This record gives sequence, C-alpha cells and structure tokens, in this order.
Amino acid sequence: MTHFSYLAVIAFITLCAFGVNLGFRLRIAERWLELAQTQLAILVIYLSWDTWAIAKKSWFFDSQQIVNVDVLPKVPLEELLFFLVVPIMTILSYQALLKLTKWQAPGEAE
Amino acid sequence: MIYSDIALDAVVLAILTDLFILRTQMITRGIYWLTYALIFPFQIATNWWLTSRKIVQYSPSEIIGRRLAGAPVEDLLFGFSMILMTLALWEFFFRRNQLNSHASDG
Repeated sequence: MTHFSYLAVIAFITLCAFGVNLGFRLRIAERWLELAQTQLAILVIYLSWDTWAIAKKSWFFDSQQIVNVDVLPKVPLEELLFFLVVPIMTILSYQALLKLTKWQAPGEAE
Repeated sequence: MIYSDIALDAVVLAILTDLFILRTQMITRGIYWLTYALIFPFQIATNWWLTSRKIVQYSPSEIIGRRLAGAPVEDLLFGFSMILMTLALWEFFFRRNQLNSHASDG
C-alpha cells in the first residue's frame, strides 16, 4: 500500500482537475491543441531538468513509496505524471478564475 | 550548480520567456497573480505530503537548507517558474492557434 504514497497525491490532483473542469463547465477537452502543445513544452523543459537533477543525485525517491516504474533513467513514472497533471490543474485554475472574475484572457483583449 | 541556483535561473528564464520571447506578459496581469495565489497553498500541501513522508529527499549539499512546510524553499521558485511558464505557453499557443484558424477561414 505504501508503494502508492506518491501516486495518491497525483490521483488527488487528477480528481480535482476533473471536478473543476466539470464544475465550472470549462470544456478543456475542446482546447486539446493548445493543451497538448503546452504539455509537451513543459514536459521537455521540466522533465529534462528533473532527469538531470536525479542523475546528479540532487533529489531521490523512497523506493518503498513509489511504484518503481522508470520512464527515463532513474526517473519514476510518478514524476512524468506530476509534470502532466500539475500543468493541467494550473490551466484549469486559471480558466476557472477567468470565468469567475469575468476578466478577459489577455488573448481575447484585441 | 546546485538546486538553489538552477531554481533561481528557472524563475528568471520563465519571466524572460513570458515578457520577451512569447510576449504574453502574464506576469503583469492580475489574473496571473490571482491564479498563483490560489495554487500556492496547494503547492505547499503537496510539498508537505512529499517531504514529510520522505517520499522525496534532497541532498543537503544541493539546497541552502531553509524549509517551508517540510520542503526546501527552492521548491517555491521551481513552482513559480512552472506556473508562469505553463500559463505563458497556454496563452501563446491559444493566440497562435486562433490566428492560424482565422487565416485558414480565408
């Protein structure tokens, strides 16, 4: 059970993401193109940093609390999922606040 | 370079990207700071979960040693950079895709 400690927090954020997307009717899936582009760019930047930092032992993970599937040399699956789910949650929070405050997105101003 | 230096560089890089490369200027907008303020406590909670249970541990020589809710303060810089970079990219791609679709509409 402890092997899911890291995965649990990712599952929680994912649940929040679905909740916010449905609750605020954000229909984020309709904006799949910029979502995919943003995700890909973030993955390239931050997973590279992470992979490098893990290689030089800046940080390390407790093998008892992760599922022990590596997606890159010594980079646990949970890290990849983290860099996917956190940007989505960031975008959903932003879109929800835009809707709530009725402020215009910068791109819609022109 | 240790985590502290790189985290600081990541913040500078995210700001420069937002202002001058993507020209999204998210950092000058209230909505950006409102979003950051909303996410901040969730980042602290996530950091606390990951560090207090020792799911992730940091090499002492890589950080300055100051901590907030269990996690090195460097994590706040990392978080700030990723939130800014994510929203700048999101707005950039949104505008570019809009322009492209208008162009193909004729």
